[in-house]
Amino acid sequence: MTTVELTPRQRTWSAFRRNPLGVGSGAVLLLLSLIAVLAPLLAPFPEGYGSDTSQPPSATHWFGTDDIGQDVFAQVVWGTRVSMAVGLSASVLAIVIGLLIGVSAAYFRRLDTPLGVLVDLSLSLPMLPLMILVAALAGPSVRTLVVVIALFSWPEVARVVRSQALAIVPMPFVSAAKVVGGSSWWIVRKHLLPGVVPVVGVSVVLTTSRAVLAEAGLSFLGLGDPNSWSWGTILHKAQQSGSLASAWWTTLFPSAAILLLVLSTTLLSVAYNDARNHRSDA
Amino acid sequence: MRFIGIRLARGLLTLWFAVTVTFFLVRLLPGDPVLAVADPNMTEELRQKLLADFGLDQPLGVQYLNYLGQLLQGNLGMSFRQSVPVTTVLMERLPWTLILTISAMVVTIALGIPLGVLAATRAKGWMDRVIQLTGVTAQSLFVPSVGIFLMYVLGVWLGWFPIGGAVDLDATGFAATLSMLHHLVLPCLSLVLIQLGGYVLTMRTTLIDALGEDYVSLAKAKGVKPGKVVWKHALRNALLPTTTIAGLQLGTLVGGAVLTETIYAYPGIGRAVFEAVGQLDFPVLQGAFVLLAAAVVVANLLTDVAYGILDPRVRTS
Repeated sequence: MTTVELTPRQRTWSAFRRNPLGVGSGAVLLLLSLIAVLAPLLAPFPEGYGSDTSQPPSATHWFGTDDIGQDVFAQVVWGTRVSMAVGLSASVLAIVIGLLIGVSAAYFRRLDTPLGVLVDLSLSLPMLPLMILVAALAGPSVRTLVVVIALFSWPEVARVVRSQALAIVPMPFVSAAKVVGGSSWWIVRKHLLPGVVPVVGVSVVLTTSRAVLAEAGLSFLGLGDPNSWSWGTILHKAQQSGSLASAWWTTLFPSAAILLLVLSTTLLSVAYNDARNHRSDA
Repeated sequence: MRFIGIRLARGLLTLWFAVTVTFFLVRLLPGDPVLAVADPNMTEELRQKLLADFGLDQPLGVQYLNYLGQLLQGNLGMSFRQSVPVTTVLMERLPWTLILTISAMVVTIALGIPLGVLAATRAKGWMDRVIQLTGVTAQSLFVPSVGIFLMYVLGVWLGWFPIGGAVDLDATGFAATLSMLHHLVLPCLSLVLIQLGGYVLTMRTTLIDALGEDYVSLAKAKGVKPGKVVWKHALRNALLPTTTIAGLQLGTLVGGAVLTETIYAYPGIGRAVFEAVGQLDFPVLQGAFVLLAAAVVVANLLTDVAYGILDPRVRTS
């Protein structure tokens, strides 16, 4: 009998493939990304006024129309683009900040206490009201949303990164790197960062879904970019026009899109974690 | 008492941090920082008074000290719209937000503990799987979506509950209390649904850990009834980490309250925030954050102290 030696990465992948929830979530995310990229081919950009106002879903308007006759399907398709783009950019920015702060806190011992206190304090405050204040003062735009969400999402990442990096710092190869005269930056780049990457992989996914929820929340309150559509903006317009209680289709479809995205990212990260942990008992 | 002192100091530190972050963020942003306390359209007299109160014509350091001084006196600036102090606007709204969040918290705990026990005692069974999957799904919900869904089904379609406001203005006495509870159901339920998932999942994990401890095996071995082992022995120890998580979730609860109040036109701080966004009423937005942060700090402090009294281990750590 021949046993094929698998690399850890291959083993994680094969364990992941056997999990239907994980694969299904991956497929949903892929589909949503395709919709985001191909939006211009799927529906015209929703603008202006249409003649069919407040129509329930039909063959011509799959998701119905809103109070000024715009097609809700087109809104959701274009909303996918902005919601995912804002979520992903904000999350990448938050992860860069979180990585820098988390790794610095773990490696430079003197920074650990002040940075730890900073993270704890930030995590215990109600972030949404603070984001609202800053977004309102900065003026609504896609860029504002990305920066504001990133600015208040990094502490979670920093905490996760720090605890992972703390386990690596006392390892012999780090001391060895110091002994051979490696600079701090070189050690952080070559030894610490590769060690925290698997944790960050999960973090990207979760931070993105939180960022999408934050974007939807801010846009729902009227702080979205007035020139583009996002899922939160659709809900905001439904609330403003008073169709919240009458035209269920104006709120159901954007809500379902948010749920689909957030749920599949959550399940994907759960499946990925399980796949990685199964290596030990295999 | 030393323990309470430490917690109090930490609470004050958090509050100072919140206020300081707000102060500097507002001034780092492009635009006029005066906007954070005074309306450009106010009467010149009122505007000059506010500028002097907050020392906005002075160097940043002096401004900061003035700002802290004004906050200590409860002055959060003037609302643009009504030209009334922000403190007055928010204090009128605060009781409603407290009613909503506290009732949501109580219901979440009342439902979360038995559900967590159910999942943990049947770990890996189908009931456990259902609870886990529902918990994960519930954590992925967008607050306004939940609010709109409940409003549509229970409020509009079935017509069981009112879909907006907090109380019937015509009602008096006992009828008013009933009407208040009636209006509370939907917003409260929305908050419970989004909070419950995280709560049950944490409860489940910590209880499974507790059930594997030696004292649980001992209790079982000496013939304590299974139900009593779970509820009297393991649960008490599992509650501590769960309470810590609940404390950390307070920030999310407050954020959820802002969104829920917006949906149901519930006259709390969150609805005031929504209205202030529409009118670009920055002093109200700033004041609301400071007040909500203070509420979270106080709630955390109370939980900590209560737990310190109940569990001696907390006091020493």
